[in-house]
Amino acid sequence: MSTWFNYEASLKILFFGLLLGSGLPALFALAVRAGAAGAGTIEASDGPAVGHKNPALTALSWVVYSVALVAVVIGVLYIARDFIGVHTGVYILGAKPA
Amino acid sequence: MNLQLFLLIIVVITALAFDYTNGFHDTGNAMATSIASGALSPKAAVTLSAVLNLGGAFLSTAVAGTIAKDLVNGHLVTLQLVFAGLVGGIVWNLLTWLLGIPSSSSHALVGGIVGAMIAAVGGHGVIWTGVVSRVLIPALVSVALAGLVGAVGTWLVYRLNRGVPEKRSEAAFRRGQIFSAALVSLAHGTNDAQKTMGVIFLALISYGAVSRSAALPPFWVIFACACAMALGTYTGGWRIIRTMGKGLVEIKSPQGMAAESSSAVIILLSAHFGYALSTTQVVTGSVLGSGVGKPGAEVRWGVAGRMATAWLITLPAAGLVGAITYWVVHEIGGYPGTIIGFALLVATASAIYLRSRRTKVDHNNVNAEWKGDLTAGLDEADQPTVTVGAGAPGRNGEVTDVAPGTASAKKAGMS
Repeated sequence: MSTWFNYEASLKILFFGLLLGSGLPALFALAVRAGAAGAGTIEASDGPAVGHKNPALTALSWVVYSVALVAVVIGVLYIARDFIGVHTGVYILGAKPA
Repeated sequence: MNLQLFLLIIVVITALAFDYTNGFHDTGNAMATSIASGALSPKAAVTLSAVLNLGGAFLSTAVAGTIAKDLVNGHLVTLQLVFAGLVGGIVWNLLTWLLGIPSSSSHALVGGIVGAMIAAVGGHGVIWTGVVSRVLIPALVSVALAGLVGAVGTWLVYRLNRGVPEKRSEAAFRRGQIFSAALVSLAHGTNDAQKTMGVIFLALISYGAVSRSAALPPFWVIFACACAMALGTYTGGWRIIRTMGKGLVEIKSPQGMAAESSSAVIILLSAHFGYALSTTQVVTGSVLGSGVGKPGAEVRWGVAGRMATAWLITLPAAGLVGAITYWVVHEIGGYPGTIIGFALLVATASAIYLRSRRTKVDHNNVNAEWKGDLTAGLDEADQPTVTVGAGAPGRNGEVTDVAPGTASAKKAGMS
């Protein structure tokens, strides 16, 4: 690590940023796509929507939405981890007792 | 009442005023893209953001290492100096707000304190390597990292949603944006309210009202800072929200969600890896990225360039105000010096506020079509706007770049 520029932290932020920061919206997009496909509204490149409903895909879309929601909940818990630790004694997500 | 106590009270009031400007300056960071894409109504957005900022502020369990710790020699910090630094921060925050430029509140505060320090003891009181490695370089890193992550996220979203009816995908992403924006607000409250708490805490310690070994400021400090920031957030820095949401990139909800996710994740990661990045610069990077990543989207690089210029002069400009304030307060000295310093702050703030009333940007017109600059076309509904877009498109909002007709229309509105 140089004195001027923190390479290590920057690379880590880039790596996990791409994984989570770009990955989560992509996951959400996947859920939207599965939902649209389940409702039979995906437009083919050469024509209008095919129109078959597919409950399995609809269910899949809800599963993926839930995963994204869990990620948000983990984010909130992460922000609040020290507060939770101090007030409940339960240290989660790498919070350290003071 | 002795002079030190008087100074302490003035410092606390000024610090809370700074916290308030910090709040409304940064509402846009969390909410601009949600407001622009229509995911939340402007009023709902600022209310949600204010509540989450309030909550976030209470979640702080330790005061972030005092903002100026690695930047100036701590032994030379006095109440007068802290006051002058805060004035520098406030004045710069208000000026950039008037111009609708999202600039970093932390940079403004750092600039003010560094300037006051130079005025007090000269350049040797400043830790210059700290200023470069902790303030200037991270600003560049923020924009680059967030821009890349935001662009990749946006590109993936549009790639994966090819063929999904636009209406359906827009609606889904609008709902998703509420969550991503909430996360940014909460993270902002936890990070930024601590800055002011740190300043007040430092002032209380230097006065001797709080023991040096105390880990947490008194509850009233946390409470007051949380409220000041939430109130500021609720006021909504509409001018800045407009630039962020409409000026840089025309934002659709999938882009908004990608940008906000990128911002939230990078802010949290930077805290986790101990490399403090400025919220404002992270968000601006993400928004730019969301413009680059969407096929066919237009990024107004002129607006971005204007922001970059403002960022470059934030430190020296806030520093100059801090230095002048320190000089006034210190040279006149005693009660008169402090009172005159405070009166000058109030006068400047009022002048800037009155100027902003000439062309108001508020929750009613924040999403109006962007016509070349922040206020163009907002208060001239009855004037023909045919000149806009004719000839040189005045995209970067500088008078020299807009068509003559637009320039005169602008003059009519602004002066």
